[in-house]
Amino acid sequence: MSIYIHIPFCTQICSYCDFPKVLKNEKLIDKYLISLEKEIQEKYKNEVVSTLYIGGGTPTSLSLKQLTTLFKIIEKINLSKDAEVTIEANTEDLTIEKLKLLKKYVNRLSIGIQTFNATRLKELNRKININNLKNAFKHFDNINIDLMYGFKSQTILDLKEDLEKIIKLKPAHISTYSLIIEPNTLFYINKYNKIDEDLDRKMYDHIIKVLKQNGYNHYEISNFAKEKFESRHNLVYWNNENYYGFGLGASGYLKNTRYENTRSLTNYLNGKYIMNKHKLTQNETIQNEFMLGFRKVNGINKIEFKEKYNINIDDIKEIKELLKLNLLLENQTNIYINPNYLYTSNEILIRLIDLDAGLC
Amino acid sequence: MKQENIRNFSIIAHIDHGKSTIADRILELTGAITEREMKDQLLDSMELERERGITIKLNAVQLKYNYKNNDYIMHLIDTPGHVDFSYEVSRSLAACEGAVLVVDAAQGIEAQTLANVYLALENDLTIIPVINKIDLPNADVPKVKQELISTLGFSEEEIILTSAKTGEGIKELIETIIEKVPAPSGNPNDKLRALVFDSFFDPYRGVVALVRIVDGKIKVKDKIKLMASGATHDVTELGINSPKQQIKEYLTAGEVGYICGSIKSISDIKVGDTITLENNPATEKLPGYKPMKPMVFCGLYPVESNRYTDLREALEKLKLNDAALEFIPETSEALGFGFRCGFLGLLHMEIIEERIEREFNIDLIATSPSVIYKITKTDGEIINIDSPSKMPDRQKIKLIEEPYIRTNIYVPSEYIGQIMELCQNKRGTYINMEYITAERVNIHYEIPLSEIVYDFFDKLKGVTRGYASFDYDLIGYKPSDLVKMDILLNGKSIDALSLIVHKDFAYKRGKAIVESLRKLIPRQLFEVPIQAVIGSKVISRTDIKALRKNVLAKCYGGDITRKRKLLEKQKEGKKRMKMVGNVEVPSEAFLAVLSMEEE
Repeated sequence: MSIYIHIPFCTQICSYCDFPKVLKNEKLIDKYLISLEKEIQEKYKNEVVSTLYIGGGTPTSLSLKQLTTLFKIIEKINLSKDAEVTIEANTEDLTIEKLKLLKKYVNRLSIGIQTFNATRLKELNRKININNLKNAFKHFDNINIDLMYGFKSQTILDLKEDLEKIIKLKPAHISTYSLIIEPNTLFYINKYNKIDEDLDRKMYDHIIKVLKQNGYNHYEISNFAKEKFESRHNLVYWNNENYYGFGLGASGYLKNTRYENTRSLTNYLNGKYIMNKHKLTQNETIQNEFMLGFRKVNGINKIEFKEKYNINIDDIKEIKELLKLNLLLENQTNIYINPNYLYTSNEILIRLIDLDAGLC
Repeated sequence: MKQENIRNFSIIAHIDHGKSTIADRILELTGAITEREMKDQLLDSMELERERGITIKLNAVQLKYNYKNNDYIMHLIDTPGHVDFSYEVSRSLAACEGAVLVVDAAQGIEAQTLANVYLALENDLTIIPVINKIDLPNADVPKVKQELISTLGFSEEEIILTSAKTGEGIKELIETIIEKVPAPSGNPNDKLRALVFDSFFDPYRGVVALVRIVDGKIKVKDKIKLMASGATHDVTELGINSPKQQIKEYLTAGEVGYICGSIKSISDIKVGDTITLENNPATEKLPGYKPMKPMVFCGLYPVESNRYTDLREALEKLKLNDAALEFIPETSEALGFGFRCGFLGLLHMEIIEERIEREFNIDLIATSPSVIYKITKTDGEIINIDSPSKMPDRQKIKLIEEPYIRTNIYVPSEYIGQIMELCQNKRGTYINMEYITAERVNIHYEIPLSEIVYDFFDKLKGVTRGYASFDYDLIGYKPSDLVKMDILLNGKSIDALSLIVHKDFAYKRGKAIVESLRKLIPRQLFEVPIQAVIGSKVISRTDIKALRKNVLAKCYGGDITRKRKLLEKQKEGKKRMKMVGNVEVPSEAFLAVLSMEEE
């Protein structure tokens, strides 16, 4: 079993962010943590948990005291011995004191850098504390760095600079995301322009090339890792496995049912947690398996698929067609998206999201 | 009612000059309807008619009016205002003795004003000229009067000034109609001759035919015969519109009304045909009947191929009320199953397409319109084709002829240059130009009809900033140096995009189509070349670059449901696309030939 915990508080709001979040407010945080504890008590059935992910918002924006309260709640979770416990962090928050506290409860940091370029940081409404960043690497060996690209007027040269700086830090894991202008973000409101699709693709191809040269394994559309440092928690999503989602706007997947928590803080504080629940049909489960599984560069394991659904993946009509078109490829063990089409994978996935696998 | 106290008249006008509002005021003033019953512009009952401000189907209303202590019955016969329906106009004019010619006080004489006047004159009608909308701030009554006097030869005293909006002049108009329009002259004791000038389908009574009794008398239970088609029917009901239907025992010479006879198909009782009695038939039918022939053709296909049957039902239902609409099944490699449809003209085509989409809720792909080409083959055989796909091999063609029209383009003289340039680009031949006034001209060109069915109207409006009005007469077939141009997507010829073009214009048009398709077809997973070819010769080529990005970049936080919705939305967007070979083509692309930009 896995758990995602959402901490929706931030010191400042990034221009691109459309996750559930609010500006930090001490009283709200205290109430939130009480409600969160209640939610976990209500839902969690004490399963052994092998990955736990604390995301946000900015979890590290909580004070030492509040973080301690949060970890008290988490201590009650039945974590396996080798559990992967990640917390998302901003460099500004990572003082020595906080790093020391975090070190006691988590073994993986996911640090949002996005870019080192001062002008762009300003556009994004973000800051970086280089000193804290370096300290973080002294305390943790399993660190992910988030890198963003595709900014207005960004060039390949600019991207190279960011990449070099990140590689120098030797993080175990790197996530790269092309900027998306989502509705209800500052960028959307301000009509921020993105680079065009062709340059975006060039940047993506460049990132793959450079990170491979530096020993990173490209294992998911946007994710790269040193050997054995793949994000086990994210693999739970991509393998279509079960997880709890706790906190504002969090989503979970249990007993064939996907649920979403409320995005209203008032409702959440009043204990009205779940907003939507949807029990999946077998077909939907398989469709999701493809939508998620084909995010992985190695795709879907044929034997595991057969074990899970009791049908052969290459008996499915749509899969056969895509193999014939060379949009999907296969080897002895796996079926995967032709790497040339990974960055246009939606075109492939939409042919799979309404397939009928002949089950109910 | 004595025959001498009957008056039958129509109102004719250019679009928007106020024909329907004048009709409304006449109906009010004669008490046919009260103001409260008044839907604005009662005679235009179809929703689409009201939106477009034009009358498509005709109507005939009986009015009563007391003038100088005599009771009069007047029949107001409405006419459609567009050139596509000029045959129907001419038949309803044939049912009248007089016509009220309405001209807008601000616009003056326009193309359809004259076209309608000529139709009225052909039918020997007494014309009463009216200048309407005199209440408008930009009305220029002296100028419009001058146009009526100099162009049409009316005298100043004849012209009636009205404002249908305020009601001014309407009473005078009604009384002038009584004074000037002759009473019907037919003989009630002669053998029955009734002119069918319109018909519509009623689900309960079958076809309802609107008729003018020219000679004789018709009663319920009469056995009637259509003199042109030879069909016979029993009259089950007859009556008049006032404007509500009133059942009558009989209709007699000079009267206008409706008859029903359990007639199943509108094609059984065609507009222009003469009704007589089967056991006491007239010897000669009324003049002027001709079967309506579609002039413009296009393929109509459902965007979702499983709606083919729905489309057929929609066309069948529309056909019930529209004798001019023709359709036969057609198969396209690119578009699947659909229908080749024939229309009277472009407006007729647009109206049918809109009604199918709106009333029957079927998304349509319409291929670019075509005319009928007459082809003489080398073996002497002559064939008519209404679709580029039916064009024989070039080696087998001796001669191709295409239909030509003669234009009436009414335009302020400052736009003469632009009009000439436009007509030249449309393969037009200049004939002459008439000055209506010092500032307004009527320009005559001979232009192939196929050029008109593309974007002529839009271009005309564009270059004259909406000041031109346009009308045309068909003048027959002329030989042309035409070739079939095919469009290839990813190396595969797309039948639905083929078109027939003039050799000298082929290069330019090919380039424009290819360019317009490049803009309309979204990038695909692979590069897609677009080519315009004649035979095996490539005239123009461009490529749609391969799609470089379409990905859900981040997928963390486990929010799978939202990501899935994004994909479903993308999938939904593809529904308006047709898979042509392995290329996804949006339905709009099949009209690319119409939307292309020529430099």
